[in-house]
Amino acid sequence: MGPFIALALNGFREARRNRVTLLVAIFALAMLMSTTLVLEITVGTFDRVITDVGLGAMSLMLVLLAIFLSSGLISREIERRTIFLMVSKPLSRGAFLVGRLAGNMLTVTVLQLLMAALFFAMMSFYESPISPAHLAAVGMLWFELWVLSAVGFLMSSFSSQMVSAFVTVSVYFAGHLSSDIYKLASKSESGAIQALGKAVYYVLPDLSRFNYRPHATYYAPVTSSELLSAAAYGMAFTGVLVALAVVLFNRRDFR
Amino acid sequence: MDSPSPIEIRNLSKTYRLGFLMNRQVRALQSLDLSLMPGQVYGLLGPNGAGKSTTIKILLNLVQPSEGEARLFGLPPSDREARRRVGYVPENPAPYEYLTGREFVTLSGRLNGLSGKELDDRVSEVLGMVQMTRAANLQIRRYSKGMVQRVALAQALVSKPALLILDEPTSGLDPVGRRQIRDLILEERHRGTTVLFCTHIIPDVEALCDRVAVLVGGRRVREGSVAELVSAQTTHVEMTVEGLPLEHIQAMGITLEMARPLENRVLLHVRESDAQPLLKHVLEQGGRVTQLHPARFSLEELFLRALEEAKQGPVGGEIS
Repeated sequence: MGPFIALALNGFREARRNRVTLLVAIFALAMLMSTTLVLEITVGTFDRVITDVGLGAMSLMLVLLAIFLSSGLISREIERRTIFLMVSKPLSRGAFLVGRLAGNMLTVTVLQLLMAALFFAMMSFYESPISPAHLAAVGMLWFELWVLSAVGFLMSSFSSQMVSAFVTVSVYFAGHLSSDIYKLASKSESGAIQALGKAVYYVLPDLSRFNYRPHATYYAPVTSSELLSAAAYGMAFTGVLVALAVVLFNRRDFR
Repeated sequence: MDSPSPIEIRNLSKTYRLGFLMNRQVRALQSLDLSLMPGQVYGLLGPNGAGKSTTIKILLNLVQPSEGEARLFGLPPSDREARRRVGYVPENPAPYEYLTGREFVTLSGRLNGLSGKELDDRVSEVLGMVQMTRAANLQIRRYSKGMVQRVALAQALVSKPALLILDEPTSGLDPVGRRQIRDLILEERHRGTTVLFCTHIIPDVEALCDRVAVLVGGRRVREGSVAELVSAQTTHVEMTVEGLPLEHIQAMGITLEMARPLENRVLLHVRESDAQPLLKHVLEQGGRVTQLHPARFSLEELFLRALEEAKQGPVGGEIS
């Protein structure tokens, strides 16, 4: 097992020991309670509601988890002084950073797989049809989590956990609005506002590209080219942020 | 060809830029030169803020120097192959608390490139060496400070390093813990490991070090073996004479720094250069010298004097 895998598995072990996996139990409970309630109050819209609640809860929990884990990833190491024992080892700082991020993403991925399995099991149990849009919604959420984790991770490489978490939450909300901001700004007659809208669109990740929850709710069709393009966008955005984090981290003194 | 020195430091300086705008500068290290021979135990002695930890952090690529260069086995600290031969215990080490001692040492071994049975065997061996076998499967968050220190030492030893760098390895430990760490350092020296450690605990330096550098305000103000440093600082020679009255001795024309008549003898302090002539005169005149020994500074006195001297001259610290 190489140093990179050792770091990634250690990140997963950290999350497990810190009882992050309890989130899956909370998700299961939320699903169980909501379906029981939904069965009582809905007539004819059960499929839509179970999809909305399931995907919404999954998205909310995993987004919060990704922000929490990534925003403290490096700053916690520095505050607790664990960084001294790690960065002095014979591995590059870049390998250390990416190994830690991989550990985070392994945790998020395992939890998402467990939640998705629960969600689809619940849908099958209630004989609610599963469409390609459902799979797309779950799959694209994974890419959104990569982008958000990379934002938190970049911030964490040079600021405190509090600042990193605040910025990442802000990016989450702004990122879901960035395409709207772009469209609104492009309708303005002012060249400055148009340029500002464009700048916001290119600097912030366009997280609405990963949101296939409405497609799942309304059983709308999805195309593979659309999905591939969104996935490529997500990985490219993540790559740029991680590269930036590595550059900043390489220049840093650990006093 | 000679093998390169485990540590070679030339004209090393570090100035930290602090503050939100990075406009405050603090000089931590100034033109430091240092060279370690293989197998040596070398102590960096100095008060807080002397630049000891900064020197160590530059050697481990944790801090970049502002000027000068540091080399490990002839390679820059940024070279992973250089760091592969180094074991490091930082001041107040903080291993991952969610891991057990065994898991943490195993992780360290993996990051050093060990694997499989070799890794498992070596982990058990070093845990035994630091007497942590029984507590190895407890989470580190349950450890006492001494146990954390010993696990930190185990992770430093797991890759059989040729160079051990220890930052205040005994600080905050009880006498038993200090003794154990000191014994481990001595064992490593017997194995031929080069050891650099920094401390402000003088008895540790006296007990362990072949050579010492005293740092004050980021500068090296003394350097040498413990014996050299203290013998170079003989303050006077103390002599006890019997069979001659004080007046006779005073008439010999040798400057006496202190002369005290006691019951049937005289206690004298003279400069080192005057000791031989005085001895000769006393013996020639029928006196007997019953005690003669040079009075030397202890390392502690030497250290305090170096501190005082450094206060008179330019020192490190905030420069703008």
